[in-house]
Amino acid sequence: MELSREREGYQPPRSGVLLLYGLTAFLFVLFVLRFWYLQILHGEEYAQKANANRTRRESVFATRGIILDNKGRLLAENRPAYVLTLVRDDCPDIPATLAQVSRWTGNSLSALRNRFRQDSMRVKSFQPQIVATDIPFEKIYEIEQQIFQWPGLAVETRQRRWYPYGPLFAHILGYVADAGEKDLRADEKLALGDIVGKQGLELVLEKSLRGAKGLNSVEVDALGRRLNKRREEPPLAGENITLSLDADMQQAASEALGEHAGAVVVMEPDTGKLRALVTHPSYDNNMFTATLSREEWAKLTDDPRHPLQNRAIQSVYPPGSVWKLMMVGLFLEQKIDPRHGVLCHGGVHLGSHTFRCWKSGGHGFMNMLQSVTNSCDVYYYETAQRVGIDNIERFAKACGFGSPTGIDLPHERGGLVPGREWKRRRFGEPWQGGETLNVSIGQGYTLVTPVQMAVFVSALLNEGKILKPGLLENEEPVVRGVLPMPPAHRSFILEAMRATVSGGTARRINRPDAVIGGKTGTAQVVRIGERRLSSGEMAYRHRDHAWMTSWGMKDGKTYTVVVMVEHGGGGSSTAGPVAVKVYDALFGPVAGRAARETTQNGESRGQAERRD
Amino acid sequence: MAAVDRRLITHANWTLLAITGLLFFIGIANLYSAGGVRFEDGISIAPFYQKQLVWGAAGLGCMIVFIIFDYRHLRTLSVPFFLVSLVLLALVPLVGKTVYGAKRWLDLGFFSLQPGETAKIAGILLCAHLLSRFKDSLGWRALFFILAAAALPCALIFAQPDLGTTLLLIFLCGGMILFHGVKKYVFRTCCVVFPLLLPLGWLGLKDYQKERILTFLEPSKDLQGAGYHITQSQIAIGSGELWGKGFQGGTQSMLRFLPEKHTDFAVAVFGEEWGFLGCITLLALFCFFLLCIINTARNAKDQFGSMLCAGIFFYFFWQILINMGMVAGIMPVVGVPLPFLSYGGTATIVNFILLGIVLNISMRRFMFKMN
Repeated sequence: MELSREREGYQPPRSGVLLLYGLTAFLFVLFVLRFWYLQILHGEEYAQKANANRTRRESVFATRGIILDNKGRLLAENRPAYVLTLVRDDCPDIPATLAQVSRWTGNSLSALRNRFRQDSMRVKSFQPQIVATDIPFEKIYEIEQQIFQWPGLAVETRQRRWYPYGPLFAHILGYVADAGEKDLRADEKLALGDIVGKQGLELVLEKSLRGAKGLNSVEVDALGRRLNKRREEPPLAGENITLSLDADMQQAASEALGEHAGAVVVMEPDTGKLRALVTHPSYDNNMFTATLSREEWAKLTDDPRHPLQNRAIQSVYPPGSVWKLMMVGLFLEQKIDPRHGVLCHGGVHLGSHTFRCWKSGGHGFMNMLQSVTNSCDVYYYETAQRVGIDNIERFAKACGFGSPTGIDLPHERGGLVPGREWKRRRFGEPWQGGETLNVSIGQGYTLVTPVQMAVFVSALLNEGKILKPGLLENEEPVVRGVLPMPPAHRSFILEAMRATVSGGTARRINRPDAVIGGKTGTAQVVRIGERRLSSGEMAYRHRDHAWMTSWGMKDGKTYTVVVMVEHGGGGSSTAGPVAVKVYDALFGPVAGRAARETTQNGESRGQAERRD
Repeated sequence: MAAVDRRLITHANWTLLAITGLLFFIGIANLYSAGGVRFEDGISIAPFYQKQLVWGAAGLGCMIVFIIFDYRHLRTLSVPFFLVSLVLLALVPLVGKTVYGAKRWLDLGFFSLQPGETAKIAGILLCAHLLSRFKDSLGWRALFFILAAAALPCALIFAQPDLGTTLLLIFLCGGMILFHGVKKYVFRTCCVVFPLLLPLGWLGLKDYQKERILTFLEPSKDLQGAGYHITQSQIAIGSGELWGKGFQGGTQSMLRFLPEKHTDFAVAVFGEEWGFLGCITLLALFCFFLLCIINTARNAKDQFGSMLCAGIFFYFFWQILINMGMVAGIMPVVGVPLPFLSYGGTATIVNFILLGIVLNISMRRFMFKMN
């Protein structure tokens, strides 16, 4: 490489060199003077300040917002919890101090040491680090008396989350836990020992619930003893939240569901507000706010009944005959004459396969209304072939199926509305004609969540508004879409539901003092064989899912009630009684029910093993 | 290129090397005393002084690389290097990592690169290259030419936002221009115009940056934020008095309330533990260090080498002035580290590279006939 060769004996400009010398001299003189000023002239002053008056900044925890039900009952509150903290810099003998903590609390010393060592990496040496949590109040008295002998240790009051109703609201409220490595990394406002929402509303509403920490300046003497505290910034308490849910309703719906695995949704159609959202089985979310042991966690996650799953929004099921309500809307849109009758022989042949009606003997001639009240499958097989899968897919999606409802809870699932495009992507295969038949009765690949069903039925009642299911009492209704049905079609479906309750398959939930409409559903879990087996003949996990979607009006109040019993067998026989109990809670018990019960039992016995 | 010539060794500037070694050693000892346990990502827990030793070793390696070849090659490289660092700076807003609300890092996987740091080296090289094209004092046209070149990286760094690095880059170029000399009438006009431009600069600052400067002017206003740091670091230094509290004696002091004690406020730890005498010694070492660089600038064989040394002088000078000024409470709080004393990977390596260039220029001051 050719390097430039300049004239020999280059001399930098004199003024430039002088500038550099001058600056260096300036630097020296400036700081000699400054250090002299600080360290010699005022040194003693500063030394005194350093020794006597140490101000330390401490954050003050903000109270987490509480959660109430719509009548002001506490669903999530804060209870004081006493913790022992240690400031490493202030502690002359850490091993002895830890041993003392172990003596006071009864925690094993080795566990204490392990936790201390781990936390030491994350907490700065001058910040309080938690060494023991959840110390009972009686112990605190004893500790407070001796604590002055142990510099660096302090008793602090933190708050612990408490859910008075436990399992009843576990899936909705979720739970909080100590902020972990990930949370700390994601949010610099968090410190070790803070709690954050991990599930449910505690997670979704974390921002509103958390509030903002305050700041104290604490004066500490040379031994680390606290002299006085001054509040610099008061903490900002988190927002209190009122839910639309009603604890009584929730309780009643939960009791109605009893031991079944499943979900109950009670929704106000006009506002979209949920009054009960029950899923069974449940778990006690208070377990998570204390230290959850590995065994307890394993027990929850390995439980074959999946108690952590919120079945109302996170589980998808074939809708079975409940789907027919939507199908009727489509048929009407496609100008199918409701008076037109279809002959049901008990099945339809397509290719080599026979698609059976639940009633093996057949229903005879069925018009549209009768097809709902009797839940005749053949009517749908036949008519669905006329409208085609593309229409079904479009219409179902427009009704809100196949996508999440937008409820304020994490991990909601959207279900599935199958179609040609989906099948090609999923299996690389073209759509088969028989699959249209399956979809027409809510079987095949079709999957919905109970809350989607509640939103759909509500939309029928509220002039077609597809609402976001509301959990917050003070939230304005959020309209996410409009049912693709004119008023006449909606009233046809409502009338059909009404007829199904007054004289059809959902007779069980009728009551004289209210207007009730409903539709039962029994969704096959396994492929329908040559003969339809009755529930008793099947293994539990092969048994049908039972649905009851309904609405009720009394004294100007309207509610949508959707009951889904996992592997419950018949929609009417299993989900029906649950819905009856929910209406009892909503509208009050019916006088003379007991007498009616017996007659109806006899009646339904006569239709034993009927599917719908 | 010259093969290893014995005269290169004999002409090596051993004094400068020794002073730097001493400063680095003081830095390590000081970090050991500050004793911060690293918690940035929650994984690494190696003490800072150990990590700084690793960085120092890496820096030493880079330094040797920058000693071996003739520094005049840098002149050819200055323009491409400048362009590369501009590209890196432009990449930051697109793919950079955000830390504490500012995007300054490029994540290279094994290493986070701070393009602001490479821009400093590139700026020095380019300024030295451009300035050495002019033999006489700068007129208007030459001045604007150089300022225009420097404005690009400044604007990109300012947008990150990184006020400290921007100012450093401006001061660097300014210092080098003054060292080179400008025509008298240009100098006089500038003396009038620049103070008038300052209010404009104020408008371009972010709120928190304005706050810091206001806080500096009146620390009692903000005892909890930046004012707290200033007050606490002054107490720390002042309480060192004449003799200091002794090595590691400062751990019981206020210092532990300083969140940046291992980086920007490292000298507060030192001042507290070693007192006035220690501070004067440290100051003297820094001044000797600067004098060695000035001597190299004086004796360099060509203008490029001389300009380069001047640039490196200003690089260290401004950092020492701003950092110590901030810790001693006579400058606003801007995040500028103290060379060789503050913990920091990129900064340490850059410092050693620049030192390598000075040594390079110094040992080749008699050598040009070799080529």
